[in-house]
Amino acid sequence: MILPQSDNSFLPRRRFLVDTGMGLGAIALRSLQGPQGPKSPIRPTIDPGHPYAPRPPHAVPRAKNVVVIFCSGAVSQLDTFDYKPELIRRHGQALPGHDNLVTFQGKQGALTKSPWAFRQRGQSGKWTSDLMPHLGAVADKLCFVHSMRGTTNTHGPGENFMSTGSALDGFPSMGAWATYALGSVDQDLPAYVAIPDPRGKPQSSANNWSPGFLPAAFQGTDFNATNPIRNLARPAGITAANDAKSREFLQRLNRRHAQGFEGDTELAARIASHELAARMQLAVPEVADLSNEPEHILKLYGAVTDGSKTGDVRAAYARNCILARRLVERGVRFVQLFNGSYQTGGEGVSNWDGHKDLYNQYSRHGQVLDQPTAGLLRDLEQRGLLADTLVVWCTEFGRMPTFQVGAQGRDHNPNGFTCWLAGAGVKHGYSHGATDEFGYEAIEDVVTVHDFHATILHLLGLDHLRLTYYHNGLERRLTDVAGEVVRGVLA
Amino acid sequence: MVMVGMVLSTAPAYAQHASDDREAGKGHWSLQPVKQPSIPVTKPARSNPIDAFVQAALAVKGMTLSRAAQPATLIRRLYLVMLGVPPSPEEVAAFVADQAPDAFERLVDAVLADSRYGERWARHWLDVVRFAESDGFETNHQRPNAWRYRDYVINAFNADKPYDLFVREQLAGDALGADVATGFLVAGQVDIVGSPDPVLTAQQRADQLDDIVATTGSAFLGLTVGCARCHSHKFDPIQQREYYALTAVFAGVRHGERDLPMPPEQAAELARVDASLAVLDQHLAPFAVPAPDSPPAGMTQRPAVEFARNEEQFAPVVAKIVRMTIFATSKGEPCIDELEVWAGDRNVALASNGATATVSSTLPGYDIHKPEHIHDGLVGNQYSWISNEVGGGWLQLEFAQPERIDRIVWARDRNSVVRDRLAVSYRIEAAVRANQWQVIASSAARTAFAGAIQSHAAPTYRFDAAQPSEGATSRLEQGRALLSERRTLERERADLMQSPRAYAGTFTQPGPVHLLRRGDPMQPAEQVAPGTLALFRPIEFRNDAPEQQRRLQLANWIVDADHPLTARVLVNRIWQHQFGIGIVSTPSDFGGNGAPPSHPELLDWLAQEFVANGWSIKALQRLILTSATWRQASTPLDSALRIDGGNRLLWRFAPRRLAAEAIRDCMLAVSGELNQAAGGPSFALHDIGSEYVRHYRPKEEFGPDESRRMIYALKVRTEPDVVFTAFDCPDGSLTMPQRGLSTTPLQSLNLWNSKFILQQASAMALRLVREAGDEHAATVVRAWQLVYQRAPTLDERDDAVALVQSHGLPALCRALLNSNEFLFLP
Repeated sequence: MILPQSDNSFLPRRRFLVDTGMGLGAIALRSLQGPQGPKSPIRPTIDPGHPYAPRPPHAVPRAKNVVVIFCSGAVSQLDTFDYKPELIRRHGQALPGHDNLVTFQGKQGALTKSPWAFRQRGQSGKWTSDLMPHLGAVADKLCFVHSMRGTTNTHGPGENFMSTGSALDGFPSMGAWATYALGSVDQDLPAYVAIPDPRGKPQSSANNWSPGFLPAAFQGTDFNATNPIRNLARPAGITAANDAKSREFLQRLNRRHAQGFEGDTELAARIASHELAARMQLAVPEVADLSNEPEHILKLYGAVTDGSKTGDVRAAYARNCILARRLVERGVRFVQLFNGSYQTGGEGVSNWDGHKDLYNQYSRHGQVLDQPTAGLLRDLEQRGLLADTLVVWCTEFGRMPTFQVGAQGRDHNPNGFTCWLAGAGVKHGYSHGATDEFGYEAIEDVVTVHDFHATILHLLGLDHLRLTYYHNGLERRLTDVAGEVVRGVLA
Repeated sequence: MVMVGMVLSTAPAYAQHASDDREAGKGHWSLQPVKQPSIPVTKPARSNPIDAFVQAALAVKGMTLSRAAQPATLIRRLYLVMLGVPPSPEEVAAFVADQAPDAFERLVDAVLADSRYGERWARHWLDVVRFAESDGFETNHQRPNAWRYRDYVINAFNADKPYDLFVREQLAGDALGADVATGFLVAGQVDIVGSPDPVLTAQQRADQLDDIVATTGSAFLGLTVGCARCHSHKFDPIQQREYYALTAVFAGVRHGERDLPMPPEQAAELARVDASLAVLDQHLAPFAVPAPDSPPAGMTQRPAVEFARNEEQFAPVVAKIVRMTIFATSKGEPCIDELEVWAGDRNVALASNGATATVSSTLPGYDIHKPEHIHDGLVGNQYSWISNEVGGGWLQLEFAQPERIDRIVWARDRNSVVRDRLAVSYRIEAAVRANQWQVIASSAARTAFAGAIQSHAAPTYRFDAAQPSEGATSRLEQGRALLSERRTLERERADLMQSPRAYAGTFTQPGPVHLLRRGDPMQPAEQVAPGTLALFRPIEFRNDAPEQQRRLQLANWIVDADHPLTARVLVNRIWQHQFGIGIVSTPSDFGGNGAPPSHPELLDWLAQEFVANGWSIKALQRLILTSATWRQASTPLDSALRIDGGNRLLWRFAPRRLAAEAIRDCMLAVSGELNQAAGGPSFALHDIGSEYVRHYRPKEEFGPDESRRMIYALKVRTEPDVVFTAFDCPDGSLTMPQRGLSTTPLQSLNLWNSKFILQQASAMALRLVREAGDEHAATVVRAWQLVYQRAPTLDERDDAVALVQSHGLPALCRALLNSNEFLFLP
């Protein structure tokens, strides 16, 4: 579709230079303000022939790339990073002020301390649990947000909310927004990659990397170190020569046809997309091939299994972490890395949903997440990539400081939970906000999921109030009608 | 600079002034009565008023309509736009040869009468009403009877159901003899995850109602009513109170399956079978032994048993012992993962609560399958019990003391990993003392298990008389014959009893509805009576107005012939799908935030013509299709491109990429594989697990069922089709009044390398040889006719023949099915 030239109502008020070819810091920020003042919406202008061409941000960005590590099933803040001495002290007592509290699965029993001891780590002296010692060892690199608060306590809506800013299905994911706004530096790889857990997809499945109502060009492409992109490879039974000759023939067909439609850029865009696809066929297998990763790197991530079942899963997740680093290295804008899955067992079996048997389940999940994730942080840092890369660790919501009646685990709790950030533009060895003395409810410097998203966009140089897309009568944003940048975490 | 996709390029100007003023937007053009504009006089004179309006607007810019497209182009365009499949070479040849002046008009009439028309146009409406066949969210259960609404929409378009009736039936079809149509109300996503948490439950219900209110506003009125959920609308004259008045209209609507009235012929047949069965039963009575498994009184039909979780609810009963007797399994000896018996919020079956388990037998040699695992609180196959009897066995739990129990939950494997050994026929009984058993649950109250079963149950009739004698033998043979006849009749009866069901609205009289502060269900404010919007002749109902009347009255208000929005919005949707862009480019937003019409007088003229013609969509489409405007060539002109690159003034017919469904359907049509079977249950593009949280795995093999038109594919929320979703195919999670038209490398990969496309290319190659012989030049000509509705040029033919010679006919077909000329409207 060609942009209407004559009808002013169809023109965006502010156009961008496309493909400036300049470094991010050098991008001219002049005349970014719309005619209606500094807060008018900014809809990026997309060239259909180059939908992933780099586009300038709204302000000088602190981060070029984002890696989101998403833990499916809702990680307990109380058994990982949110140290609550009062919970330990009052173990076995009732949660004060919440008699007969009914949460997602029903009634609550007594306050229950974590089965893992907490100890202080690094220069910052951050208290983290023994469940994940490797992550504890890199606590000085992390910027904890302990005062997260969500609105839903159900997994599907919770994943949707963290990934898309809406509890409903059908809204664009964070990565889709970022790619829509900024395009990508690399033109041979998908601009936005979702890496599902080796055990399967998360609960909200592809809605976590959905383009929603944004053009399909901005959907996350899902593949991991084990399963390649579907339909990427030349099909079995078609020889390389056949494939090449057929493709050349197709391009001749299309060029002949285009001669009758000079100026119709959508036809040209399709021709270009075949060329982009051919480059992707070369680039993706290369990036997903970890065979040249040296021994010490594999060890750093824990990518070698000890032969146990948990060791196998950890090694597979570790390989996904290495893949994430390789993607970032090549300029992929947004990588979403999943840990935990519903596909091979819900209720804590393959994910963090520890209702019934928290100790045994988390013992396994902690092993899987811990070393590879810490390895990723260390590797990004030693390669200098952490300076430009924002790492976001998040989950659906938190869990209760009490155990459920009749069970050995914690129920859902959206009132307070922990996420952390690391790398470009954020403080390190720092903790922001707090829950109450039992870790039940965020009470200090509360950060909503919209605030969290606003902050991530801010670090990418994007104003969450101005990055919009018109859909069905509304100027939609990742942050709906809310969200404030969390200044406290910015370096 | 150009933009990706229609949606981007048609976004309106940014809103000028947000306002909380009650009068905001009242003077907006779309809220004024539809005018009767006079038809402009143009040079040259135009007989079709549409052309007169378009020509007049073009003339202002010194432009004119393009010449008419070639007949072969025209028939291809007509078929693709109206039917979504290309014409056959024979249809093209006949039309091109038809020199009569009304040849095109007759072709239009034939196309509008073609049943494939409904299959094409229903798709647009289903996008607008966010129709899908799964619940969405994490459970994402499919809705096996949602297709009836899809068929209703297809049939409505084919029958040219007057649009006012179409609207009324979708909102209140239960009052109009069209129950299925209320599938509209509940076509959206719904979170079925139940929880005792009252906040969650209230939020889920508020979200369901919002989905219905917002979709009603956007589909029929082109208004973003949903904005007023939390505050009065900033751009349109809609107060928050009015939003809750609409909520009160729908407050009695719930998601669910609805029994449809049994067709009279079926009811008569059922009566006949019942009479025959009664006679047979009298003859068989002497042979009967007591039935082991009669359903407890008052139990209604419940879902079939599942591997991961089965819940039995019953009126509370005091019991000290509970036993489950199994008569048949899906395969092998039965396995029970965990059996919970609930007394209120306590699982009294747990060993830790003092209960003990006994069983009929245990499969020897497995530590993971032991009786104590039935009630150890641990789930999964590794903590389960298996009997040592194929197809049967029993287990019994005795509690520490008598308990008042009301619920039993059991499963084969809570983790949904292992899928065999499921008890499919069983009876659960409770007693305070042995021999005082009462049945509290039974598989008889469930829908039959769909798969094969292995039975352990005793026969209902016995013919093994203890002392055979001559007379007795013949009597036994007679008895066996009677039984065989009875079984036949029972099967017949079971089929007849399948009264049709539909996923449609279910209705109850609601209680009071309150305005919710900031849209928060935990902050109810004053009570709000049901009513319509105030922007046109408002109606307010009594607080206790009957539920059905609320919806019917709202529907009548929407289709009032004087309503300023209803006809304008629909006419614009039709126009959009015929030209690629509407007169109003924001089809579901005619409010202050939407785009102004490019041809306001034309829009009004069409709207009043539409109502005057009895709300006939086909009459409207015929008018548009036979206009010179629609029949223009698509050739770009430099001069015109410079003035109006977006073709808002319609100086040509702008080419555009086909939508996902049309691409798939066209490929099947050209390959000869298209299965034209219309209507009925959907085919699945995924293999679907039966776990509580459904898992969908893309199919890799495609048979005749998967070769039906894509509108018949089960539409699953959040689970993409691996080839066609990339072509901006929405998943029905949100209303999609206008498809995007992205171009992406993933689309190229999907069309180039997927199994589906290769299969079509091979089928097409076989078809070409079948129809044109194995001489390359002839097959190439036939290929061009099938794919493009034209003959190849000499260059094209030679190029194609060379490819066929070196790499075979499927290589050529693969390339043609990927080409722009095939994928774009001409």
